[in-house]
Amino acid sequence: MTVKGNYEEYRRLLLGLVSVISFITSWELLLTYVFPLNPFFLTKPSLIAVAFNEQVIQGALWRDLAVSSRAFLWGFSFAVLVGIPVGAFMGWRRRAEYTFDAFFTALYASPLVALAPLIIVVFGVGLLAKSALVFLLSVFPFIFNTFAGVRSTDRLMLNVVRSFGGKEKDLYLKVIFPSTLPYIVAGARIALGRGLVGIIVGEFYAASEGIGFAISRFGDTYRLPEMFAAILVLMIAAVIMTEGMRKLEVFLAPWRSAQDTR
Amino acid sequence: MNRLVRFYLEREHYLLGWGFILLLLLAWETTPHLVTLPKGLSLFFTTPSKVLEAFYDLVVQNQIQHHFYVSAIEFLLGLGLAIVVGLPVGLITGRSRTIDAMVDPYVTVFNATPRLIFLPLFILWFGIGMWSKVMIVFIGAVFPLLINTHEGVKNADRVLVNVVRSFGANEWQIMKVVVLPNSVPYIIAGLRLAIGRAVLGVVVGEFFGASEGLGFMIASAATNYKVDVVFVGVAIFMGLSLILTLSVKRIENKLSRWRPEETKTF
Repeated sequence: MTVKGNYEEYRRLLLGLVSVISFITSWELLLTYVFPLNPFFLTKPSLIAVAFNEQVIQGALWRDLAVSSRAFLWGFSFAVLVGIPVGAFMGWRRRAEYTFDAFFTALYASPLVALAPLIIVVFGVGLLAKSALVFLLSVFPFIFNTFAGVRSTDRLMLNVVRSFGGKEKDLYLKVIFPSTLPYIVAGARIALGRGLVGIIVGEFYAASEGIGFAISRFGDTYRLPEMFAAILVLMIAAVIMTEGMRKLEVFLAPWRSAQDTR
Repeated sequence: MNRLVRFYLEREHYLLGWGFILLLLLAWETTPHLVTLPKGLSLFFTTPSKVLEAFYDLVVQNQIQHHFYVSAIEFLLGLGLAIVVGLPVGLITGRSRTIDAMVDPYVTVFNATPRLIFLPLFILWFGIGMWSKVMIVFIGAVFPLLINTHEGVKNADRVLVNVVRSFGANEWQIMKVVVLPNSVPYIIAGLRLAIGRAVLGVVVGEFFGASEGLGFMIASAATNYKVDVVFVGVAIFMGLSLILTLSVKRIENKLSRWRPEETKTF
């Protein structure tokens, strides 16, 4: 069984690799030999590689990345700091759930990105507006996932701790927190994607630096290879973060890994 | 008194939920009457009644209808295209392991990245007209649909598939009898997520390089400090996505009562 499982995994990896490599080579070959390359419309992998080397490895893009990640980290940290306590409170007190549930659900389900122009007009072009946007988008997954985690805590375990003379502190530290943590990490993965949307929209809309600004500037000036290189960087970062969260999720709660909600 | 308490307790969930929202609106409405706002802030401040007024004015001037029509067309075309592409691809990757392995890297990467980064590229390719927005809606909505269809097909009961196959069904009949009915709840869940992404695509797509649509209305109102018009647009988007997601959610709950609800995702 394990041998077969291993074989299946290698086959999968190999097929994936083959498909990516053949896609890239046929892209390169088609634009080199079959169709004439219109540099204002398309580009090819070899040119992207050159731009990638120049922008990323030699570091022209690092400044933009640093600017974006600073805004992202501020907004995301505040979302964690606000979202987890609010979610825990909603999970712990039934009346709090009743009061906030409708309002937060309405905000979570609606495209709050629509507020982006207003936020930028109010807070100005820069760190504050982008962080506010990231916060606004990524706080709700934390709230609702913490809420679900606290709500799903095993009552029996709480009673066991109480029976053995555990204090309120023990309840929180030894039962509620460990059982909520996997939910929070799952929420963090969703929040990550939404936070990235916030950064990108903020920087597309009005910015003078940052990765989103770099992409839209390269687009405006028809520098397609650089644009693709910047998109590639963002893709790599997003995949690393998302897959990292997914690994963490599996590590923290192996029994939940079967339910894969993306 | 006792009856009043019972009445309250039975409907506590709704009463508290709606009460809180009404309280917030009321506080919002009365704030400028209670305190005088500093001049800088009052420029950005509006009240629900002014938002309603602005909404009425825009309806009378026939502006909302036009912008709404443009946005709706983009939304429907993009989402329709996503369904037309996402469902078949999801079905195929769910049934064939080889094709799944070959498509999976792209799906993983594109699903992890916010697809809005392709907006400048799409504007370059499809122009600033309707089609760049349709494409951004499409690329946003297609992945949730594809992934959920894939999951639904893959989770089809092996035993049932084998039974049908033993009775001599071909691949198409297996699809029709077992796989498709099994994956409907998954597809509906994917559709709910896809609607959210599609609305996001319409909003952000119209922020940039557009001359009509509700997103454009919001963006141009914000730059002209017409905060009430901004909130008219935001409220329309909020209302629409709430109505759409919640009604799909209702269908979903009806179809999959047995699956325990995990956490809210939009």
